[in-house]
Amino acid sequence: MSKLNATDIQGFVLRGYNLPVGRYLFLRLGSAKKARDLVRRLLNQITTGQRWDGGKPQSTLNIGFTFRGLQRLELPLASLVTFPVEFQQGMRQRAELLGDTGVNAPGNWDSIWREENVDVWLGINGQTVEALDVCQASVQSVLDETGGASLLGSQNAAAEIINGKPTTSEHFGFTDGFGNPEYLGVERSSQPGQGKLSDDGKTWIPLATGELLLGYADEAGELPVAPVPHLLAANGTFMVYRKLHQNLATFRAWLDHQSKLYGGGKEKLAAKLIGRWRDGTPIELSPEKPDPTITQDPNQSTNFTYGADAAGTRCPIGAHIRRVHPRDAFGFNGRLIDRRRITRRGLPYGHFASEDQPVADTDDRGVIFMALNASLSRQFEFVQQQWVQYGNDSHLGNDKDVLMGSHGGHGRFVIQGDATPTNPPFVCSRLPDFVELRGGDYFFLPSITALGMIALGLVDPR
Amino acid sequence: MSNINGKVYALNAITPMKPWKTWILRAVFFVLGHVKPLQNDLINLSFIEFARWVIVPRRAFPCLGKGQLPEELKYDYLLFFSNFNGTWNQYIDAFSAVLSKGLNLVWRWSEKFPGSVPVTLFKEYIARVQFDTDYYYTAYPQATANDLKSAHIVQSSFDSLSAIATQSSPEQFAAAYLQFVLEVQAHLGETGEAPAVG
Amino acid sequence: MPNQNGSVYGLTILSPIIDDDRATPSHDLQIRAYLAQLSTREDSPFAVAPGTHLARLVVMDDVIYVGMPSCEEHLKSKYLVFESNCDGDLDTYLAGLADSIPKHLDAIWSHCVGYPTRGAADRDAFIAYMKSCQLETTFYFAAVNDKSVPATLRALQIQTAVADFIAAHQGDDPVTLQRDFIHFAAQLKTLPPPPAGSMEPHRTIKTGGHNE
Repeated sequence: MSKLNATDIQGFVLRGYNLPVGRYLFLRLGSAKKARDLVRRLLNQITTGQRWDGGKPQSTLNIGFTFRGLQRLELPLASLVTFPVEFQQGMRQRAELLGDTGVNAPGNWDSIWREENVDVWLGINGQTVEALDVCQASVQSVLDETGGASLLGSQNAAAEIINGKPTTSEHFGFTDGFGNPEYLGVERSSQPGQGKLSDDGKTWIPLATGELLLGYADEAGELPVAPVPHLLAANGTFMVYRKLHQNLATFRAWLDHQSKLYGGGKEKLAAKLIGRWRDGTPIELSPEKPDPTITQDPNQSTNFTYGADAAGTRCPIGAHIRRVHPRDAFGFNGRLIDRRRITRRGLPYGHFASEDQPVADTDDRGVIFMALNASLSRQFEFVQQQWVQYGNDSHLGNDKDVLMGSHGGHGRFVIQGDATPTNPPFVCSRLPDFVELRGGDYFFLPSITALGMIALGLVDPR
Repeated sequence: MSNINGKVYALNAITPMKPWKTWILRAVFFVLGHVKPLQNDLINLSFIEFARWVIVPRRAFPCLGKGQLPEELKYDYLLFFSNFNGTWNQYIDAFSAVLSKGLNLVWRWSEKFPGSVPVTLFKEYIARVQFDTDYYYTAYPQATANDLKSAHIVQSSFDSLSAIATQSSPEQFAAAYLQFVLEVQAHLGETGEAPAVG
Repeated sequence: MPNQNGSVYGLTILSPIIDDDRATPSHDLQIRAYLAQLSTREDSPFAVAPGTHLARLVVMDDVIYVGMPSCEEHLKSKYLVFESNCDGDLDTYLAGLADSIPKHLDAIWSHCVGYPTRGAADRDAFIAYMKSCQLETTFYFAAVNDKSVPATLRALQIQTAVADFIAAHQGDDPVTLQRDFIHFAAQLKTLPPPPAGSMEPHRTIKTGGHNE
């Protein structure tokens, strides 16, 4: 396949920036003419996928639109109707399908999401909070000069800093940031385990580019269904944004309580929930204890399959990473899951509290979950609906993901074990909701070319 | 929507076949029926509760007299009825991804079949030849094929344990119980409602 | 024998629907209307009559034109498709339908050509009629479930109860565990089988243990 033109693709799509702080601005667009003017003015500030030969910039800026936003920009109707149904509806209207009910229902979301007014997402990532402020100020002056949009609100996010260095931990104490897929042509340091399994069942090769980027061949051997015209969609992708509040007090209390009943102890129990020890060691490779030699070796940290662990005695069948990336667990060399991968770009938000600090569920903390995929319904929505809020593909019936599922106090998580006292079978019942959805939406992240067309009102659907 | 009842979906499809091709398809089904390993992939996909193909030769449409006009058709017809778990898209995606050769072997004899790969054209064809169900009943709407398999495994282990429960000492029972839990520990999922479809 | 796969039988029946211009609404629409208001759960006729795992009824209006270069052609009659996956042998199943739910059978099939004038009340005529509309199932895949409907429902019931028991008795000492298990098994034996067609998990058994 041809080499990707990194200057035409938004950097946020092609790479995790690994910048420690972020701020997401949410805009409501004004009249179409002024909104287009705004896009035109922001265009040369948008960070592309070009490599940073001179070191990381102080901040980056990227942009995405909800369907409402594209409507306000007055893209031609014939083009608008070719956008996928789920994107046209927006995440709020997909709530039933995603299992965003009960405590996660839109009625409980932050008002900015509940009211479905967000037209534009502007993602600022930066090295320091000051850099974020500078970038935001620059954006604000464009807003003021063009009158193209009003700022509805913003969301700060930041990695946890330990000993002066940013980490990839989240609030429950788990190290995150593994497992982003590898796609053909998307240059990044590749690691075995991130692509798809080849026919020999052992070697990992990159996924088709079209699973991330529109306009390229995908895993089904075709160009994925995409909005019309081709130039509007090519090099673009779809993003889901979800603000996931974490009930840290509930989690810590629950883990402490369950640990007393579980023969393997607290850290092993925590590892069984996710499928990795808190430092990131995959329990499939190291079932007894964390092992930094594995975690820090890119050739090992994501390089494993579940074929030798069909019973789930090392990594429980319902553990989080096994649910969302089953690898070879469904047979057929992983071919049933190759089209269900997503690229994650999130950051935590809120104050990090160490184990000895008191916390409350009402404290404002959680993770901003952002995922990129060529098809929201086939990728993100499918994983959320079938693998997180349901368990049939893993033969787990209606059981939901222990950490991410909406249990409402009724959930169950089974840890498969063996006859050793430190690895017993263990059932966690009456699970509470550890994570609550506070809002979000679906966004389209166009290529630089497409942004130009949108800005000039030149989208022509033939 | 009456194509769905609980966790199972009723798909109906009818495709025309030139009569001379029907014989080839009959041979294909004969082999499939008698060479069991060929069915392994179907079994491992594990979301089909029941599925059937019915060849209806052009003169075999039931005609009971009493004023009913006999059919005068050029084509034979292949009827397909599937009862599967999951969504329509999920079902077709899975087959296209892992069983495309088998699908082609069955449907290439039907007129205008585009092949099961790539999937978008295949889905368009199915949408065109599918007709909707008026009434769909299942004795176990809350259970998928996987749930049924698990239920049989759990019952079998439970029966074995029950048989020895009264004759063992508490220690013997505790050991047997642990073995029992290890046998069923991957089969304890709840049953209930299917995920909502959009 | 292709109609049979293990203990489950794949019954495919295509009944021509009466074509009568004077009927208002037409017979196929009357069938559709009747089916639309029929329950598909515990009070479905197929839950009342024995032996049906899964069954569907479809009014097939016509064959489908797939486009040139194929020829366009049409059926002269509409057909009522009855696809059933059922227990046991055909005669027993059909007799079971005729005996348990004759009114429903008459309401649906009286719109079809050749249906016995006395309806399902004439059991033999009903069975003969259904067989005259039967098509041979060319290939039947039913590898998943080899047990009868009551046995399947019982297995599901046991699975739910066992999962509850295991969860509730985690960490029990051997004496308590054995005593409670024996009690639980005895209770399970006396439990009535769950109704067919029901969505409820029917957690009627108390498994004892920590959570109750």
